[in-house]
Amino acid sequence: MVFNSYTFIVFFLIMLGLHNLPFSWKVKKINLLIASYIFYAAWNPPFILLLWLSTVVDFFVGRALYNQENKHKRKLLLVVSLIGNLGMLCFFKYGGFLLENFTHLVNLLGVNYHPAKPNIILPAGISFYTFTTLCYTIDMYKKRSKPVKSILDFSLFVTFFPHLVAGPIVRPPQLVPQFEMPHTATQKQLMQGLLLISLGLFMKVVLADSMLSDPANTVFGAKGPLNTLDAWMGVLAFSGQIFFDFAGYSTCAIGVASCLGFVLPENFLYPYAAVGFSDFWRRWHITLSAWLRDYLYIPLGGNRKGKFRTYINLMITMLLGGLWHGANWTFVVWGALHGLYLWIEKLIQDFRIRLKPEPELVPKPQVVVQGFMAPRFLKKVQSSNFFLALITFFMINVTWVFFRAPDFTSAWRMLTSMFSHVPNGAVLLTTLTIIKVSVIIVLMVIFHWLMRNTRVLTVANKMPWWLLGLIWSAMLILLILSQESSSTFIYFQF
Amino acid sequence: MESKNLVRAGVLAFVLVIAFVAGWEFYLRSKGFDTSYYDDGSLWANKREMVYEPANKATVFIGSSRIKFDLDINTWENITGDHAIQLACVGSTPLPILENLANDKNFKGKLVVDVTEGLFFSSAAGNARTPNENIKYYKDQTPAQRGSFHVNHLLESQFVFLDKEWLSLNELLAGLHIRNRPGVYNFPGFPSDFGRVKFNRQEYMTNKMIADTNIQNQVKGIWNSFRQMSKDPPASGAKLDSILTAVKNSVDKIRARGGQVLFVRTPSSGAYLMGEKMGFPREKYWERILAVTGCPGIHFEDYPAIAHFVCPEFSHLSPSDAIVFTKNFINILQEKGWTFPHKQTIALK
Repeated sequence: MVFNSYTFIVFFLIMLGLHNLPFSWKVKKINLLIASYIFYAAWNPPFILLLWLSTVVDFFVGRALYNQENKHKRKLLLVVSLIGNLGMLCFFKYGGFLLENFTHLVNLLGVNYHPAKPNIILPAGISFYTFTTLCYTIDMYKKRSKPVKSILDFSLFVTFFPHLVAGPIVRPPQLVPQFEMPHTATQKQLMQGLLLISLGLFMKVVLADSMLSDPANTVFGAKGPLNTLDAWMGVLAFSGQIFFDFAGYSTCAIGVASCLGFVLPENFLYPYAAVGFSDFWRRWHITLSAWLRDYLYIPLGGNRKGKFRTYINLMITMLLGGLWHGANWTFVVWGALHGLYLWIEKLIQDFRIRLKPEPELVPKPQVVVQGFMAPRFLKKVQSSNFFLALITFFMINVTWVFFRAPDFTSAWRMLTSMFSHVPNGAVLLTTLTIIKVSVIIVLMVIFHWLMRNTRVLTVANKMPWWLLGLIWSAMLILLILSQESSSTFIYFQF
Repeated sequence: MESKNLVRAGVLAFVLVIAFVAGWEFYLRSKGFDTSYYDDGSLWANKREMVYEPANKATVFIGSSRIKFDLDINTWENITGDHAIQLACVGSTPLPILENLANDKNFKGKLVVDVTEGLFFSSAAGNARTPNENIKYYKDQTPAQRGSFHVNHLLESQFVFLDKEWLSLNELLAGLHIRNRPGVYNFPGFPSDFGRVKFNRQEYMTNKMIADTNIQNQVKGIWNSFRQMSKDPPASGAKLDSILTAVKNSVDKIRARGGQVLFVRTPSSGAYLMGEKMGFPREKYWERILAVTGCPGIHFEDYPAIAHFVCPEFSHLSPSDAIVFTKNFINILQEKGWTFPHKQTIALK
């Protein structure tokens, strides 16, 4: 089920009603759990078995990990959990990719091996719920938190429908305590939730689907070289589409949870206003970058094992982060480019520190709570750094080419069209489309810059009620007029 | 902001949205717009699910836009007592759908294949795109999508403004007619009064279209631009043979299971018909379909009762002519040996 569908509206209204009826807290939790399974099964019912398997295995393995004192047995249990979770992910997500690469390799070695292409359907959200359950068992292994007492709370933690298929990726301490005590939304939470759902749907349906997906699809679907303007417009359109699509989903998820009285972590903080790439990763898909930091980068040694290892760890993290997004080498290159950007940024930072050691003067921005290491000089963000933000945005757009292009030939063709004059490059986009993309992208960047140190609800709270009402109604009217419903979110495929 | 202010803002937004929707709906109705259904994969899939109805109770129609305009489903169902399942796709070849039905072992019913030669004998990928997308949607449809379809149906049946084809935000912006930069291919836009879609997927021309020769000429101009754009000559030789072989294979599979297949060449007129006759001579195309497949066929020119129509824009029948065509078509089908056990007796005009 997707948030931008009539089915979800009906489902959500029923859930809202049920959640506010005078049932016991346990009954309400059971309702939420059943609803979450229905939410998931409405996409492809058989895959619910995987969800159950993952939940049951990790609940019991997690508890055993926490209670087991024998080191060898603890390690064995951790391996069981890792194999279970990552094995499932590898089979469904990377099975075809691994087989394809193995086939290429043995063919290169002269072996005539041509297996049938496996027809594996990727279960929706497997990457998200695998990471959710993985962090629980790793936390249990490290005894970072106590095991969840009831399987009902644990199942709900894994399956809670607002975050189930595309995040935010939640940690047990963020959500499980909320299930332990009765939660229903206050009037303020309900209204804020409805506002966030409206905003999220506006971002997804009006901006991503209605305005930006067509130009992005047209340009990236081109079979030949493109006119430079078309190439750039296509990339900018995708840059907007992927943000509005995914941030729209996260905003809906947070809004839906809020309507039920729960709080989910922020996932996006105006990433296109980022000054530098570490800043970008503190603003883009925050819960994933925090997950990668805590469960991959730091266990690899982080920055504690010398500069060389720091650079290597950074690159490994970004490469695997790229691969997490999809079973294709283009995603790996996307990750590698980000790794490279972070290297360059760190080199500059190290160079500046060597020239002039910097005193700790600048307080951390209040809203930035998670992410990779941020170079100190970039923390001194002033409005004059808007230019640096634009450069960052420009460089990020280059990486999106690899993220969106189906293969390297297309990616290369796109980059060639973007950075050189292509004689007779195809002219694809209409004037109206170019105006739409330009207006939306310019407004998006300005909006991100203005909002970079605040949050939407903070701004909404300060607004006169009539102005908020006008903006809210404009979003809803455009949502109704766009008549784009039920298209899946891009991140579902990850 | 206090929650009281949030509630105020929410109430204001709600009131403004309701006022806008009511005003917009009222305005569109006053301009003569009627409810129309978006003819996408979900509507097609809904009809595709019905093909398993018993052969003596249903007939499946595939083809291009002509059969969608020319078959008046109410008339058909009233006279024959048979359910008409419309699976034709606008601007498309029916061959992917024919193949899909042929490979579905559970389909054993009656099938009418509409032949618009320029599309039927085309191997251009674009002409197969919609049927293939619809088939994929039908196969991959999720329970949630089915649910949304039914809610959407309920809303589309009540509100004129829910017409994605002509009244979505993008269509409204396209109505600004901003001049295009040089070199961009612009797909010719049909006038919004050309057709409306019913829930049974029948299309019909609006009263404005029937009355206004200017709109009719716009559509004629679009047909002409399609003709000029078409660079490939009509299929012939091995290419034609391979198309016919594919048709025969599909037809054989359906007939082997007890199904019935009949081809129909629905009316066209004027310059369009003249062009079709030149590009696709009857003996080389229409007659070969019947000869290769061994199926019965109804060519409109062979039957005086359906040979006289003048299509407003050369290619599709007006709603009133569609009723006459359908009544006579049923009669001819019976002459060909098709039976309708639930048939009612209605005098033909």
